Amino acid sequence: MKKRVLAMMLSLAMCFNMTACGSTDNSDKTTSDKASSESKGSFKSDNSSDLAYIQDKGTLIVGITDFEPMDYQKGSDEWIGFDADMAKAFADSLGVKAEFVEIDWDNKVLELDAKSIDCVWNGMTLTDEVTSSMACTNAYCNNAQVAIVKEADKDKYSTVESMKDLNFAVEAGSAGEKELSKLGYSYTSVKAQADALMEVSAGTSDAAVIDSLMAAAMVGKGTGYEKLTYTASFNSEEYGVGFRKGSDMAEKLNDFFAKSYKDGSMKKTAEKYGVQAALTEQ
Amino acid sequence: MAILEVKNIEKSFDRTPVLKDISFSLEKGQALAIIGSSGSGKTTLLRCLNFLERPDKGKIIVQGETLFDAQDASSIKEKDIRMKRLHFGMVFQAFHLFPQYTALQNVMLARQLLEKGKPGFKENKKKIYEEIETEAKELLDKMGLADRMKHYPHQLSGGQQQRVAIARALALKPDILCFDEPTSALDPELTGEVLKVIRSLADQNMTMVIVTHEMAFARDVADQVIFMDSGVIVEQGEAKQVIENPQEERTRQFLSRFSQTV
Amino acid sequence: MSTIMEQMPIVFHSLNVGFLQTLKLFFVTLLGAFPLGLVIAFGSLSGFRPLRYLTKLVVWIIRGTPLMIQLLIIYYFPGLVLGKTLWSGGEEGRFMAAAVSFIINYSCYFSEIYRGGIQSVPKGQQEAGLVLGMTKRQIFFKVTLLQMIKRIVPPISNEIITLVKDTSLARIIALQEIIWAGQAFLKGSNGISGQIWPLFFTAVYYLVFSGILTLFLGWLERKLEYFK
Repeated sequence: MKKRVLAMMLSLAMCFNMTACGSTDNSDKTTSDKASSESKGSFKSDNSSDLAYIQDKGTLIVGITDFEPMDYQKGSDEWIGFDADMAKAFADSLGVKAEFVEIDWDNKVLELDAKSIDCVWNGMTLTDEVTSSMACTNAYCNNAQVAIVKEADKDKYSTVESMKDLNFAVEAGSAGEKELSKLGYSYTSVKAQADALMEVSAGTSDAAVIDSLMAAAMVGKGTGYEKLTYTASFNSEEYGVGFRKGSDMAEKLNDFFAKSYKDGSMKKTAEKYGVQAALTEQ
Repeated sequence: MAILEVKNIEKSFDRTPVLKDISFSLEKGQALAIIGSSGSGKTTLLRCLNFLERPDKGKIIVQGETLFDAQDASSIKEKDIRMKRLHFGMVFQAFHLFPQYTALQNVMLARQLLEKGKPGFKENKKKIYEEIETEAKELLDKMGLADRMKHYPHQLSGGQQQRVAIARALALKPDILCFDEPTSALDPELTGEVLKVIRSLADQNMTMVIVTHEMAFARDVADQVIFMDSGVIVEQGEAKQVIENPQEERTRQFLSRFSQTV
Repeated sequence: MSTIMEQMPIVFHSLNVGFLQTLKLFFVTLLGAFPLGLVIAFGSLSGFRPLRYLTKLVVWIIRGTPLMIQLLIIYYFPGLVLGKTLWSGGEEGRFMAAAVSFIINYSCYFSEIYRGGIQSVPKGQQEAGLVLGMTKRQIFFKVTLLQMIKRIVPPISNEIITLVKDTSLARIIALQEIIWAGQAFLKGSNGISGQIWPLFFTAVYYLVFSGILTLFLGWLERKLEYFK
């Protein structure tokens, strides 16, 4: 009996280790590599090509969050946005159907590794952690982490330096959080970028740091947060699409990006959602 | 020929012997009263007859058929025991009526379930159920409960509940009806009505085994009396003989405690 | 920015869809956990010792760990460790995984309530059935079951009301139940963001539903008062 309990506990512990390695990004590269190769061992052995796997089942499952203007819904159940439209076009080119699934952003690597989604295509900043835990494409969009403050305080906090005594709200595990911790500013980690906006709006935090693309769409006149605005940038960064580590899909998508950049269709889609200025040359 | 023969029954609980070499027989139409102080093994004996306990040794024979033989494993198969039980009816000290059924339903339930398992039930379902209901109503009527048929057990007095329990046991037409201290849980004023019913059953020559503390009742109603003490039969014989003129010292001691009520 | 009146149809459509998912998970869980709980209860009452201990171990593990962890393990473990996921990544797969987790979790809780219920029916009831020539099966279904149900209605009612609210835990594997739907308007969805009022309505949905359940369970309890 004792042995059985022990075995059960060990297997439980094992499985926590794996989820932990999958979702949090390790600064120690060797451990994180080891963990991901472990969890994906079977994928490599019985399925040499991720592309073949996806074409075989006929769907490309795209992991997203509700993120205007990249992936969002407006008045219907259909997902639209720059990322969503590009994903649909990419799926078409492979002869499969794109299926969008809202995920918990914290679990994105876990979702990929567990094969419950095939890619993360949701204005994802290419950080070291992201590129080490997924097979990522080239950058397709420029982005920055910008500070969100109340419209009234706009002039007071126009530079990064001027905000050093504020309490920030920032999405856990985001590029913005990294910048803040580098600067030694005080911050609270929240679950999503939008939650960070809520914090500022509700006055529970003084400022927030979010993606500039999102800020453009969600803050200011004509949005849900009319009393907020964005000021200084903390860094500049790039968006990419992530696949399971070791997947051959990233290369495939790079080719697709190059092709649609050349024929102008990528730009056209970008214009539709007002992100053309941020587009990266392919 | 005796309707019931019990031969050399022995039973222990955790190595404590409760019944030691019990043998007796009973003629058809006779009533047997088992008396003795608590812990003397009378209830266990009754439970053995109904196969609620398995004797470690001995035989139980009804109408010449060996229902139970501790030495013959084939006679104690669970499946067969269920049908063998039907030779006996059992009335418990605490009634054990089914609380979610009316008096009438309590009497009918077992019969209905029994008939369901028989071939040709489906075709004659309605007729069979009507027959069961008629008989159940007659039984309750005989118990003086004609106006209580639709009542639930908790709406009945203890005496009424026990009479329903007797009707429920009779509904299966057992060869031998067993009573386990049927009036011990009743107030004195309710005891009478139950004893009256048992007395009338005796008058109709129902074969009965009655474990009781009512000495006067045992003397007047029973044909035979067995006095048990510490798991053995100390004395058995004609009811009047044993109660009014016991031969054994232990019987005399026991009965002297009841002298006022006799 | 659109006015609340303009937002209402969008919000309520979303909440309705989310609530449907909540209801689906609720009823599927009950449908699965009622019978499975009974099987587990029989396991924990079994005379066969290894089976009894095994069931008790399972019940201990399931009741002793948070449902949230069970959801994560059941949804992610197969794909992550076995290399082949049991669940499709879409809405349906997530629902199935959530339903399986909830059924297992709740049947363990139910099994303990059942066990108490079965054990609280006096042994005399069983003996009365036996001497009347009934089979064990007949005794259980015709005699014990209803008495047991009467005794377990109050504790089971508690669990049922808890389940209504527990369904929201399924959002950990991104099942889009009503709180997810309501919270989406905080984060921004369908052009509406920073709105907390949809969450208040989410609460109203829960209140109304648990109110209806309370009335129904109270009615059931009264219905069983005809015997004691």
